[in-house]
Order: sequence, then C-alpha cells, then structure tokens
Amino acid sequence: MSSIVKKDATKRRSRLRPLLALALLVAPGAALADPDNLVEITRGKALVTAGDCVACHTAPGGTPFAGGLALQTPFGAIMTPNITPDSTTGIGSWTADDFARAMHDGRRPDGTRLYPAFPYTYYTKVTRADSDAIFAYLRSLEPVSNSVNRSTLPFPFNIRSSMAVWNGLFFTPGEFKSDANKSEEYNRGAYLVEGLGHCGACHTPLNAFGANKADRYLQGGVVDNWTAPNITNDAQAGLGKWSVEEIVQYLKTGQARGVIASGPMKDVVENSTAKLPDADLKAMAVYLKERGAAGPSAPSPVAASDSRMKFGEAIFVDTCAACHVRSGEGIPNVFPKLAGATIATQDDPASLIHIVVTGGQGAATATHPTAPTMPSFGYRLSDEQIAAVVTYVRNSWGNAASPVTADTVKTVRGKVTGAAD
Amino acid sequence: MQTDDRSLMRAKFAPSTEKPKHAGMSRRSLLATAALLITTSGATAKVVTKVLPWRPNEVYPVTPVVPGGWLFFTADEAAVVDAIVDRLIPADELGPGAKEAGVTTFIDRQLTGPYGGHDWLYMQGPFSSNPLPTQGLQSPLTPRQQYRQGLAALSAYCKANFGGRGFTDLNNEEKEKLLSGMEKGDVKFEGFSSRMLFNAVYANTMEGFFADPIYGGNKDMAGWKLIGFPGVRYDFRDVIDNPNKPYTLPPVSMQGRQAWGER
Repeated sequence: MSSIVKKDATKRRSRLRPLLALALLVAPGAALADPDNLVEITRGKALVTAGDCVACHTAPGGTPFAGGLALQTPFGAIMTPNITPDSTTGIGSWTADDFARAMHDGRRPDGTRLYPAFPYTYYTKVTRADSDAIFAYLRSLEPVSNSVNRSTLPFPFNIRSSMAVWNGLFFTPGEFKSDANKSEEYNRGAYLVEGLGHCGACHTPLNAFGANKADRYLQGGVVDNWTAPNITNDAQAGLGKWSVEEIVQYLKTGQARGVIASGPMKDVVENSTAKLPDADLKAMAVYLKERGAAGPSAPSPVAASDSRMKFGEAIFVDTCAACHVRSGEGIPNVFPKLAGATIATQDDPASLIHIVVTGGQGAATATHPTAPTMPSFGYRLSDEQIAAVVTYVRNSWGNAASPVTADTVKTVRGKVTGAAD
Repeated sequence: MQTDDRSLMRAKFAPSTEKPKHAGMSRRSLLATAALLITTSGATAKVVTKVLPWRPNEVYPVTPVVPGGWLFFTADEAAVVDAIVDRLIPADELGPGAKEAGVTTFIDRQLTGPYGGHDWLYMQGPFSSNPLPTQGLQSPLTPRQQYRQGLAALSAYCKANFGGRGFTDLNNEEKEKLLSGMEKGDVKFEGFSSRMLFNAVYANTMEGFFADPIYGGNKDMAGWKLIGFPGVRYDFRDVIDNPNKPYTLPPVSMQGRQAWGER
C-alpha cells in the first residue's frame, strides 16, 4: 500500500495545497495520492501485473518501470522507455488520453509511432476504462529521472513513420469484442490473453516483418533464443493433455505436470501470473482450452537405431539421468519431467539447446520457492553431442519431434554464449 | 594450449633458469595481496535471500591437458620418469600400465602448475630435521625442486654404481631392486634423499593413474577400468535399488566417453 499512499508530486499539488502541511508532517518529501482515486489505482495495479509491464520497462537491477532494458528484436535492440511519472524523462506530462492513444493506436502524444515491440497490437483490445486505471496506477508511482536512449535501432528501422505501412499490413486496432456465444469466463480469459496478457507476442511465430503470423496464433514462437511453446489445445505440442486446473496451477506456481517454468516464462510467472486472481487464471485456461487445437501434425519419432539417438542416449544416461531420471520422469517439484513435456516436442528446439548450453533456473513462487537450477553443460558437450542428446530427449518416452543438427546447436550456442566456436 | 605458451613454459621451467623459490610469490606481493583482500572483503560480503543465485554459462572448467612434449621435464628426465612409473604400475594382462596411461605427462603438467611450486602450502619454515610423522611435509623443497634435484642425483648414482649406465639402461630386475632400496631409504644418493624422490614419484603415479583423464594421465580411463570405478557419475539410486546385480555401466570421464560420439 505504501506505493499508493505516496503520491503524484507534480500536477495535483495546487489542489492538494490544504493537505500539504499535513503531508509534510506525515511523510516529508512525498506528496499524497488523491484518496478518491485509490480504488482506481488498486485496479490499475492489478492490470499492470496482468500486463507484466514491469518485465520490459525495467533495466536489469534498475528501478521498476523506469525503463532502460535493451529489448532484442530481429531488427536491433530497442531500449524500453521510462513509464514513471517523471515529467521530463518519463510520462509525467502525458494525459489519460495520451496514454490510451499509445495503448490503442501505438502513437506517442506528438503523433509519432511506437514500435510493436510495445505490444499495442494486443493492448489495443484493452478497454478505455482499464487503460485509464493503468494510467492512474502509473501516475501514482514515484517519478524517477532516467533518460533512455530511444534511438538505438539501425537504419532503416529507425524511421518511425515506416510503422504506418507496417500498421496497415499487420495491425487491427479496436477494443476487445466479446463472443456472445461463449461463457463470460471464456470471454474474460480471451480479453486477458489477447489483450493485456499479450501471450501471443511470444507464443506466435513472427513473419519477416516482425509481426505475429495471424494464421498461426498461439502455435508457438521463439523469443530471445527460447522456445515459447504451442499453447493451443493441440494434443502433441500444445495444451491438449493439460486440464484447466493444471494450467491454472502452472501459471500460479510455475509448476504443473512435472514441468517447471524457466527462461522468459519464469519471469512471466513470477512477475505476473503468480500474482493474478485465481478466477482470472481459470478464465485464461478455459479460453486456451476452448479455443481449439492448431499446429503441425506430430512427426513420427526418430528411430532408436539412428546414430544420433544412440550417442544421445549414452550422453543422457551419463549426464542427465541423475536428475531427470532414466525414464525421463524427473523428480516432482525439483527436476523437470521430460517425458511428455511440451517444450521437448516443439518443432523449434531452441529452449532445449539453450538450457543445455547455459543451464537454467526455474520459477520461484510462494508455494514453490526453491527455484531449482540446472548447471551449464556448454563447456562439456560439443555441438554434435548436444544435437544428439537433444534429439534423444525429443524422441524418447513417447516424445516425437524433428531431429536437431549440430549447425542449429552452433547457431544457438553462438547467440547465448557470445562464443565464436 | 598454444605452442607459444608451451615454449614460454619450457623456458620458465628449464633447468638452467630454475631458481630456488619457495612459493612463487615475493613477500612484497604477498603483503600487497593481503592488503587488497582486507580492503575489499568487507564491501563484497553478500547476503543471499529468497532465491539461490544463478547465472547462465557459469562453469569453472579445467583446461584439458593436451598430451605431447614436455613442459617441465627435459627429454632425459622424462625418459627416467617413464621408466620409473613403468615399474610402479607395469602393463600386464589386466591392461595398460602407468607409462601407457600417460602418467609422465600428468606429472609434467602438474609440476608446471601450482602444485609444482607448493603454491598453496606454507613454505617459510622452520623445518624439522627429524620430524614426527604427524608433522607432515618438512622440507623447503617444492615438487619441482624435488624432481629436478632428485632425478639428477639418481642419474649420478646410476652412473657411479652401474658402470656408467643411466637408469633407463638398467634391466627390470636392477630397476626394481634400486627402486625398493629408494623406497626404504637404503640407497644413498649424493646430496639428495632417495626416499624423497621415490615418495614423490610413487604418490604422483597413483594420482596420475586414477585422476580424471582431463589432467593428462589415466588415458582412456585405464585406471578406472582396472578397478571398476564408475567415473564422474553421481547418481546410483537405480543400482542401490537392485542389490546383488552386477554394475554394468562403463566409466565416464569429465570429457565423456567414446559412446558420446564426436567431440
């Protein structure tokens, strides 16, 4: 509550003058929030959590919402802006209309265009009332002076007006429209997933222009050299075998069905979904389950006689089985299960390669605070060997996915370690 | 390791330039380091809360020894060490011996590292001339000095007592008799303890024969295969759950094994 009691220092000062003396007595250096606004701010805070705004608008080790994270896109890095109410470096001079315009149309107050790294293609679905509540919450934050270089993209991507063309091709503005044929719960879930949750930003493949492919919505994508799995109701690669309760449990605790959220999803769970009300999580799960299955049909598994499978099995037995168990079952709550894990059966193997090379850490939540880690094996396994063991994991214990080549491993390794080899 | 590094190493440890140096660190630099530790340790104290710290790609791997050539030994010294370790663990019907397993390479590389200078031991004395067994090492000589001086003394001893022949020229029976004399301390070298040389080679031979192959010895895990050591595995629940059944998995080294495919 402290962040709410602190206050909007700039604009409302004149209105609050009668309270100023009291404010100085109670909390020197801080002004007070408009008490009439408290409900709105609280609601906005919950929405900001649902949108996981903090994930991108915070530099590593920086003040939350003060921006400065270098967001890697296929076109170059974009530094995220400061969205605290600082009037020169943040959004302190913005109005609620300005903010709604950014959310709905991807435009700044001066009319220049934002890049869709800011997922306005999703936020356009957010209602004006929710946008205003989010704005009210952001206004309640302590203003932080943090000037961010907003011109890091190389030519020609630095020409913001080119986004007009992009928007014409890939952007459909407009608030969320609920489906009268579906339940209220489904529509609530759809609103969260398609709007603030912007799940599709990662879980949908990108086209050459960096836009999510609309015809492959939620069928899985790649972000920051991690695989964002298919989250349609597809039985092989998606959530087909997951119950609504299991999806809720995963989003709430970071763990379900023996798997543990890691990579960027670790942050999503810790910062966002673990803090959402159960009813919202259930609504999202109901929506994801009901909207149907989509994705490429499952390939037949690579034959056990394949040399990659044999090398992979030897490596797995000697290196992985101590934790993930010979049967691929893992150890509940500590070592993720690989048999039947959706991350193992995505067409894209980036996550498996990534985690073998760099190691990884699972999500830490209130009920599962351990944050189990996997050590890095990049120093110990060659590209060929990682390709073999990943191919083995993707095609054992009932899993089936395309084999992985040493070249693919080499590419991912280069990106996640900066190593030239 | 680069060729350049090797020639540097060779120059560093060449017999003519070897100076009696105790811990490879001057008193001045030791004090400077200590001062640095004191000034920084307070500031870097770290309290871990909630979640265990973890960083991607965090490993501290060993630089694998690349066999070939000598970094510390001269060719003559290496030939003598090869001949000694070959008598300590000879090749036989059970498998390769210490020489074939690269133990001399292991010792050579160890001597160029911190072990060779006893860098981690207190080496300033005083040293007891008649120590109790519980007093441990009581010599100002680093392993590098022990090998260099000991092998020179052995060579002189052989020349004087075996009609001008060197150790490598002796037959197996002569070598073994001489080695067991050194082990007991019965053989007197000129200016060096024969027992000290024996103990050094004996201990290092066992270390080289059974240490991970990444350090240059135990080639193809010969030592581990001989005694049935499973290597760097660390989970045996499956085995424990199945008592009285033979353990069948082959040993695995830090760099894996052949069944892992190409490196």
